[in-house]
Amino acid sequence: MLTKDEAQKLAEKILSYSKFPECEISIDGNEDAFVRFANNGLTTSGLVRQQQISISSTKDRKTGNTSFNQIDDKSLRDAVARSEEMAEIALPNEEHVPSLPPQHYPEIDRLDPATASARSPELIVHARNVIDAARSKSLVAAGFVQRSARASAIASKTGLFGYSASADSSLTATVRTAAGDGSGWASQPAIRFAEMDSSGVARRAVEKCLASRGAKRIEPGKYTVVMEPAAVAALVGYFGFALNARAAEEGRSFLSKDGGGTRVGEKMFPDIINLRSDPTITSIPARPWGFDRLPVQAVTWIDAGVVTSLRYDRFWAMQKGRQPSPPDANMILDGQPNAIDDLIAATDRGLLITHFWYIRFVNPKTMQLTGLTRDGLLLIENGKITGPVMNLRFNESPVRLLQNAKMLGRPERVQEDEVSDDLLVPPLQATEFTFSSVSDAV
Amino acid sequence: MISRRALLESSAALFATRLFGSSTDTPSKRPSPELQNLADVALHQAKKLGATYADIRINRYQDQRVGVRLSKDLTTGKDLESPFVNGETSFGFGVRVIADGSWGFAASPLVNREEIARIAGEAVTVARASAKLQNRPVELAPVPVYQDRWTSPFRRNPFDVPMAEKLELLRASVQEIKKDPRVFSGNGFLLFHSEDKFFASSEGSAIQQFIVQTVGDISAHAVDRKKGLSKSRNHRPPPLETGYEYVAAMNFGENAPRIREEVLEQLAAPPVQPGKKDLVLLPSHLCLTIHESLGHSTELDRALGYEANFAGTSFLTPDKMGKMRIGSELVTVYGDRTHPEGLSTVGYDDDGVKATRFTIVDKGIFAHFQTIRDQAHLIGEKESRGCCYADSWASIPFQRIPNVWLAPGPDSVTPEDLIASVEDGILIDGTGSWSIDQQRYNFQFGGDAFWEIKGGKKGGMLSRVAYQSRTPDFWQACDGIAGPAYWQQYGLFNDGKGQPEQINAMSHGSAPARFRQINVLLTD
Repeated sequence: MLTKDEAQKLAEKILSYSKFPECEISIDGNEDAFVRFANNGLTTSGLVRQQQISISSTKDRKTGNTSFNQIDDKSLRDAVARSEEMAEIALPNEEHVPSLPPQHYPEIDRLDPATASARSPELIVHARNVIDAARSKSLVAAGFVQRSARASAIASKTGLFGYSASADSSLTATVRTAAGDGSGWASQPAIRFAEMDSSGVARRAVEKCLASRGAKRIEPGKYTVVMEPAAVAALVGYFGFALNARAAEEGRSFLSKDGGGTRVGEKMFPDIINLRSDPTITSIPARPWGFDRLPVQAVTWIDAGVVTSLRYDRFWAMQKGRQPSPPDANMILDGQPNAIDDLIAATDRGLLITHFWYIRFVNPKTMQLTGLTRDGLLLIENGKITGPVMNLRFNESPVRLLQNAKMLGRPERVQEDEVSDDLLVPPLQATEFTFSSVSDAV
Repeated sequence: MISRRALLESSAALFATRLFGSSTDTPSKRPSPELQNLADVALHQAKKLGATYADIRINRYQDQRVGVRLSKDLTTGKDLESPFVNGETSFGFGVRVIADGSWGFAASPLVNREEIARIAGEAVTVARASAKLQNRPVELAPVPVYQDRWTSPFRRNPFDVPMAEKLELLRASVQEIKKDPRVFSGNGFLLFHSEDKFFASSEGSAIQQFIVQTVGDISAHAVDRKKGLSKSRNHRPPPLETGYEYVAAMNFGENAPRIREEVLEQLAAPPVQPGKKDLVLLPSHLCLTIHESLGHSTELDRALGYEANFAGTSFLTPDKMGKMRIGSELVTVYGDRTHPEGLSTVGYDDDGVKATRFTIVDKGIFAHFQTIRDQAHLIGEKESRGCCYADSWASIPFQRIPNVWLAPGPDSVTPEDLIASVEDGILIDGTGSWSIDQQRYNFQFGGDAFWEIKGGKKGGMLSRVAYQSRTPDFWQACDGIAGPAYWQQYGLFNDGKGQPEQINAMSHGSAPARFRQINVLLTD
């Protein structure tokens, strides 16, 4: 693990080779251990170390960028020279902002040494738990257990320096019937690997698999839905793209007002919707700095249904004569003190969604997305789950989802592929969620 | 992680250049002896520790991204120019072993003998730990031993072309796009990618390859703030495995004014009337439909459940080989890592198997899966079909989609013929939104531009179009494919699969094709 002291010395060495007025660097290193399993046996496992250094050199608003992974003296010197050569022939960037002076970054402790050093034997224990649980019911398990240790540093010629080290781990598990007529999924992220509850993950995946067998076809259309947190995260995560002030002011976002201006200050959502970022929440990963190197801070984006903030990067803030927004460390949708069973009990007729698959934009302006349910779609009638139904494709916007939200549960961090790992979201009940077709996929 | 020892390594970048040589060196048919010497360290160490098979890949990747964006500042009315230049290199090695019947893998960016021996040991340790929970021992299909060197054909190495030339081309293109003040922004980018790859196995193969790929794109964006509309239009030439000479053929000069006009037409285009319609799909669009519906469904690892936890399984299973009809008689599809300029074209795959071409769909009948060495025996086949690939020295090689292409129709059929027999339909160019279920049945695709077809004639542009279908239904609805003169090889650069997720690039060629009575949706 690259220590703070080592990172600082490496950064100083790189900056000492710089001849340009501005030089910004970032250093990233990681070591990942992982175990993959399928068909009730291990398939591929590995231990991988990687490192990357990125350098941006700027003179007269002309910037050259280079990234590389070799850190001997000659490679470092050559890389700085290469970035400067590129800058010499680059065009002036009218959106360039000068390097920041030194910043005070918050201390964010997400480095559990045992998680950072776990290896195959410790990971395999959890694969075995899932496989054993599946086998005991004559089912078939596939999954992935991983841990990652990361160190990141940023520095610039102005004296700015930041360092962050973290570790994280996760388990995802899919359990299917041998005949392929049922599939269940469950997952767990764990900042501390010792807290990995693979037996619990296995139990949920097995239960969902058994409950999903013999799915009946229902007609697509608008349904009340109860979404488990993984499903909510997959949709709410898109707000990360959408809160951009520039896109809103330029008419390219759902937050653009027709005819000009933005919808900041409008009550677009129900009272129960509060969307915010907070680096002090220790149960989710956070980095001390954001995209443009400003320190992260707590930000409220939607307060009791009212849009309160948009993200102003340093360039756009300068254009608008205002302070840039502090970058967001994570994304939190606040909840209510309900269990998911309370949400189900409060549903006359609806669908319980385990998670989604292959979500893509249909219209970025309205945030309309398409994707499919997967690994357990269950019909709710009169407050009770009455049986499985075939998977459905949706065409819907997370904006409309939150506008139609009626009830929330307790927020939790989720582990889901293609979803950012820094979301904290509750289960959610919403009306009028639009499904457009039936899928034969199990 | 970066260690103190790493800081003491000297001239790694120069070392890599010495190992792989430069593209201007006299081409040799033999791999570099220095690479072989390094490989021998891993192969000997793995054998000493009890591995029954080992291979090492020592790879260097280079990427260069150049871009220019010109966008309107609504406050001042002035255009803001924002260029971007980035060069990226990555050099390292990965060792893969079989010990106690299980795979093990380890990788490091420190390419020296001591680290190679250490990492080979790590790979054996990982394999032995995995063996305790294996289903059945890994079995590799036999492969001949090769000592060879292969280079993808190109005339001008893009990394040798001055950056200024690239920037000037893009700048001229985006300025052309922005000539009409109603266009909000213009974007242009060029991406050049190269791979120096060295593979050596304990079976005696040693293969050195050099691959160059060239990609470019310009786009126009328009916004109607009164109506709350925002649209874009791209000119995206096929990404190809070739050199800088291809950039001239991308013809940004003629296409910049075209997309400038078309984005404004698209902004004013009427919404589609949803319902069943005939579709005529151009190769620029069909590449993604081929990829998602036929490329992924015919991967053997999916079909056997090895990707069940992320990428999914497949509606095609081994018992359907040679039997199941998934397309009309017109539909013949090949897997092909030999096709000139295909993004997946190589001399040898990452198992050390010589590149080949095979039939995936034969006149509408599902014929063969894509396979690699450790899969072939699972369906009773004797050899791999050469579809093994890892996206980095730090990634485990596994089965990936090769170039998958749709055979053209008869010489006599033109795109105009396809349109002429459509009463109510849509012509679609380029890719837009895309999504398909985890067994590759239900899909939905958008596009980059849509034109109405009425009474056999192409009309004006339409907006808010997507179509949905089910893979076997869709391909059986194909009743016309244009001839070889209209066949074009498009491709994709960002196909994700695996855990940890890896990215793959491949080409999907086709001629324009017609599909009858497909469900068309009105989107937002």
